[in-house]
Amino acid sequence: MQVSLSWLSTHLDLSSYTIPQLSDLLTFAGVEVEGIEERGVATDKVVVAQIQSFEQHPNADKLSVCQVDDGSGTPRQIVCGAKNFKAGDKVPLALPGAVLPGGFAIKEGKLRGVDSLGMLCSGKELGIGEDTGGLLIMAADSPVGTPFNQLNPADVLFDLEITPNRSDLLSHLGLARELAALTGLPLKGERHHANSSTKAKAAAEEQIVIKAAEACPLYTARIIKGVKVGPSPEWLRRRLESIGLRPINSIVDITNYVMMEMGQSLHCFDLNKLNGGIVVRMAAEGEKFLALDGQTYELKTDDLVIADSHRPVAIAGVMGGEETGVTESTVNVLLESAYFAPSGIRRTSRRLGLSSDSSYRFERGIDPQQVQGGSELATKLILSIAGGTAEDVVQVAGAAPALVGEVTLDENRARKLLGTPDMTGDEIHAILEKLGLTKKSASRHESHWTIPSYRLDLQRPVDLIEEIARVIGLDRVPSRQVAVASPVDAADRTYDFAMGLRQSLAARGFFEAQTLRLIADAQLADSLGGGQGVAVKNPLSEDHTTLRPSIVPGLVATAALNIRQGLHRLRFFELGRVFLTLPKGGSREEERLAVLLSGPVSPTSWHGREPQPADIHELVGQIQNLTRTPIEVRPAKENSANFLLTSELRAGNRILGWIAQMHPARAREINARHPVYVAELLLSALRQGSTGPTKFEELPRFPGMTRDVAMEVPADLPHAKVAAFFATQKHPLFVGAEVFDVFADPTGTKMAKDRKSIAWTLTYRSAEKTLETAEVDAAHSAILTALEKTLPATVRR
Amino acid sequence: MLSELDSLKTAALAALDAAQDESALEAVRVNFLGKKGSVTALSQGMKDVPVEQKKEVGAKLNEVRTAITEGIDTKKLALQAAQDAKAVEGIDITLPGRPGAGVGALHPLTQIRDLAIRTLRRMGFALAEGPEIETEWHCFDALNTPADHPARNEKDTFYLPDGRLLRTHTSSVQIRTMEAAKALPIRIIAPGAAYRRDEIDATHLSVFNQLEGLYVNQDVSLGDLKGTLEYFFREIFGAGTAVRFRPHFFPFTEPSFEIDVKLEAKGKDARWIEIAGCGMVDPAVFTEVNKARGDTLFDPETTTGFAFGLGLDRLAMIMHGITDIRHLIENDVRFLQQFAA
Repeated sequence: MQVSLSWLSTHLDLSSYTIPQLSDLLTFAGVEVEGIEERGVATDKVVVAQIQSFEQHPNADKLSVCQVDDGSGTPRQIVCGAKNFKAGDKVPLALPGAVLPGGFAIKEGKLRGVDSLGMLCSGKELGIGEDTGGLLIMAADSPVGTPFNQLNPADVLFDLEITPNRSDLLSHLGLARELAALTGLPLKGERHHANSSTKAKAAAEEQIVIKAAEACPLYTARIIKGVKVGPSPEWLRRRLESIGLRPINSIVDITNYVMMEMGQSLHCFDLNKLNGGIVVRMAAEGEKFLALDGQTYELKTDDLVIADSHRPVAIAGVMGGEETGVTESTVNVLLESAYFAPSGIRRTSRRLGLSSDSSYRFERGIDPQQVQGGSELATKLILSIAGGTAEDVVQVAGAAPALVGEVTLDENRARKLLGTPDMTGDEIHAILEKLGLTKKSASRHESHWTIPSYRLDLQRPVDLIEEIARVIGLDRVPSRQVAVASPVDAADRTYDFAMGLRQSLAARGFFEAQTLRLIADAQLADSLGGGQGVAVKNPLSEDHTTLRPSIVPGLVATAALNIRQGLHRLRFFELGRVFLTLPKGGSREEERLAVLLSGPVSPTSWHGREPQPADIHELVGQIQNLTRTPIEVRPAKENSANFLLTSELRAGNRILGWIAQMHPARAREINARHPVYVAELLLSALRQGSTGPTKFEELPRFPGMTRDVAMEVPADLPHAKVAAFFATQKHPLFVGAEVFDVFADPTGTKMAKDRKSIAWTLTYRSAEKTLETAEVDAAHSAILTALEKTLPATVRR
Repeated sequence: MLSELDSLKTAALAALDAAQDESALEAVRVNFLGKKGSVTALSQGMKDVPVEQKKEVGAKLNEVRTAITEGIDTKKLALQAAQDAKAVEGIDITLPGRPGAGVGALHPLTQIRDLAIRTLRRMGFALAEGPEIETEWHCFDALNTPADHPARNEKDTFYLPDGRLLRTHTSSVQIRTMEAAKALPIRIIAPGAAYRRDEIDATHLSVFNQLEGLYVNQDVSLGDLKGTLEYFFREIFGAGTAVRFRPHFFPFTEPSFEIDVKLEAKGKDARWIEIAGCGMVDPAVFTEVNKARGDTLFDPETTTGFAFGLGLDRLAMIMHGITDIRHLIENDVRFLQQFAA
């Protein structure tokens, strides 16, 4: 909200505070100052001057030497660079000693050898408006010699963020009241508008009917006849313009002024355009309404409207109607001042996407006690500015809603919550009284308070404690720290485990990515692991429509971005959440780790040739090393369009995740130079394999012996089949086997195309003794016999 | 024989001197000390030496044999040393090291989150988590944010067709934690993603990262809040850092504050930078949690607590002087490798 210091100063004298002091005062009262703009000049040393004559500067093409009348009787010589004036113009003159906004001090001096005794100013130099490329030419009737700030008063504009609980601060009077409380400065009392001296008269049914008392508990109308609508006087226009409101006509300006002055939002109808009395009712379903902004709104039954006997004439508290608004030709007006319930206004404003200064105040709550005061102030202003005669009564329907009114404060509780055991009852009372609360009674540790009607936010004891905290500030509260032991929870273990994986991958040369969890529909085809993401109902753009069912799409986008930067050795991982739609409705969230790998196994360096590009076994190996459990790679029956070699990664009967090669067609789309491999792992499955402390296994006491075996097998016999054979061998001396060579010749020269040669090393050991050669030979031979029986293998002996 | 031995010794030592490699050395050994070597041949003549000379000749023979053996050993060592020196000849040690698997890096957000978590864990906070797809109740109602609150609309919040939403803050984890709690105290932190329906630009992301904190017990005071967060921010930004608390408003805390820290920006005066929101848990939150639990573990008459929340993306930007928040989600390696620490 824009607040004018000069407007505020009509309520209390703030001259003893500097701007930074005021800014701090507001900030520490919980009103954030988002901007400060100084307008105009405070100094008297800028005066109106008249240009008598001017001539070309002898030494500078762009300068003129002016003789001006500054009101002193003696002509004054000024050198000036502007060109937009003529003799006889009235312009602002900064005399030597003047300090302009921004701290620019004016001195007597010479410009290119010619005396210049001051400076003629542009509007921008005086802090009132934009650069227009020349001097500010003032009205012809501006009196020469008059201080400029008498004609254009200096002002300071504060841009304030008023928190939603403090609707009472949405006016100059409200802020002045707060500043008075904080500074102890007296409010200029005659400007308390809350009370009205005009007699209230219960409105007759044909004049006002409230059919929705919950949404509108109180409605008042004042009829003023014979007004002459025209432009507002200068002071009123200036007030509104200073806080960024556009003057429209005197009546509309007055209602806006009253709103910004005291927070009561008003509306004026052209009485002659109303058909019959005012009806406050809920809109009919689908009822159409043409508002002041020129838009037609379709209303619903929970929108409150002000209607005449024919049609809605205003969306209550939000916006008036085009047809019944006050124009230059209006003669008779009906001035509305009412209290509308916040929730209804909020709902309507939200649904229609229509917000106004009025709805902003009503939806936060206005002071119900000032409804008639607002009407009264506006009436006075209308009569003095637009003339006419007001009915001597204000018609009132309904009543001001009841407020909480009283709160009891347990002062010990306040001390405890604030952590200020030494705070006295007197101190507490002084703070609350200063804020306008009235002490009804007080016992030893308890006091009863009457809440002023404008403080809708003070309803519970804790609300009063907040006020105390706000006033004393946290400097007054001693810092305290307690150490509380917290048991390690599942979340802690998961975090530590995940950090371990992250660090391990970073140490292996992988970069951690963090990609947005909301991805585009087009990215879904890059997902690994199956499963459907969760679509958002109201996405902001088609780039972010769905909560990702897989992290891989984000890593693919990351790869694409880096390829565009010329990088072709890609090592990325991301650890984070994915979202899966469940078949029976609802969703599941789980943590996953995704890895993307492409390009040379190591970065190129001065040493030797370009390293080999990684193959899929590189990624399998990386995962193997990361998980430190034997992984079984089980090829999937199908690949989705963007992948080849899609396989499940398993440890025993646990699914750890999936691995695949990006389809070359997809890789070409992102201009990948090398094959791209991806994997996605389930964090919970990885963790399952690493629970509990490791159990130590005795080291073998006797040496083992190895035997190699080479065999020829069909080219399509998977390694996993052979590994499975060895894994199931139960011979007491057999410890295990490892593959050490795989050879195939696709040309068919050294070996038939449909055959391959594989070689394994088998290890034998006994826990009791060093083995004899013959024992090992016997065991080896037994296993080879079984091998040839089980697998389509020919052992080379 | 004695003179023969002397001349053999001289010849052997000369041959050793001339030997330039292992094989030449071995030839010398075979020529003099081998089975058919000249020293061996002479020693076989010992039996013909008269008894009175045997001692002298024997001693000479030993001396010659020892001299040659030692000569061979010495020469062997010298040859080895020369070879060893040659092995490193021509190596330019100033060349860059081999890259191995290369250098990776943790994302700066991970690093800052971990720093915050480690700091808060030292203060006895345990980790907690909750779903990112939340119910309106956990995200708003239970946090004292009424149904018609401005934040609760489809302009600012992402909704799912089934009425659930993407949590707008990690504060929903406060509720999740209190719902599931078995006893007091509760002292948790919850790092996590949150969502707001903002266009992505230099200072906004639609998905961002927060860190939530909650401490609930009997007699938790504003002093605890102040002490804890002052300590935290001084651990993060340095011991002397000025921290200030400005009164503010949040629906789920009362009183509420925003926290500023005073930081130097490069080439500028130190200024206050907004860094977090905090406050004492509003009793209405406890009441709502009790209703859901069906008990009074969080008796608003006796239970108090503080909560805080901070934006980790913003924290990372402030810490590292990152000028555009989009760097944090683009994962350009030129950006990431700056944080390889």
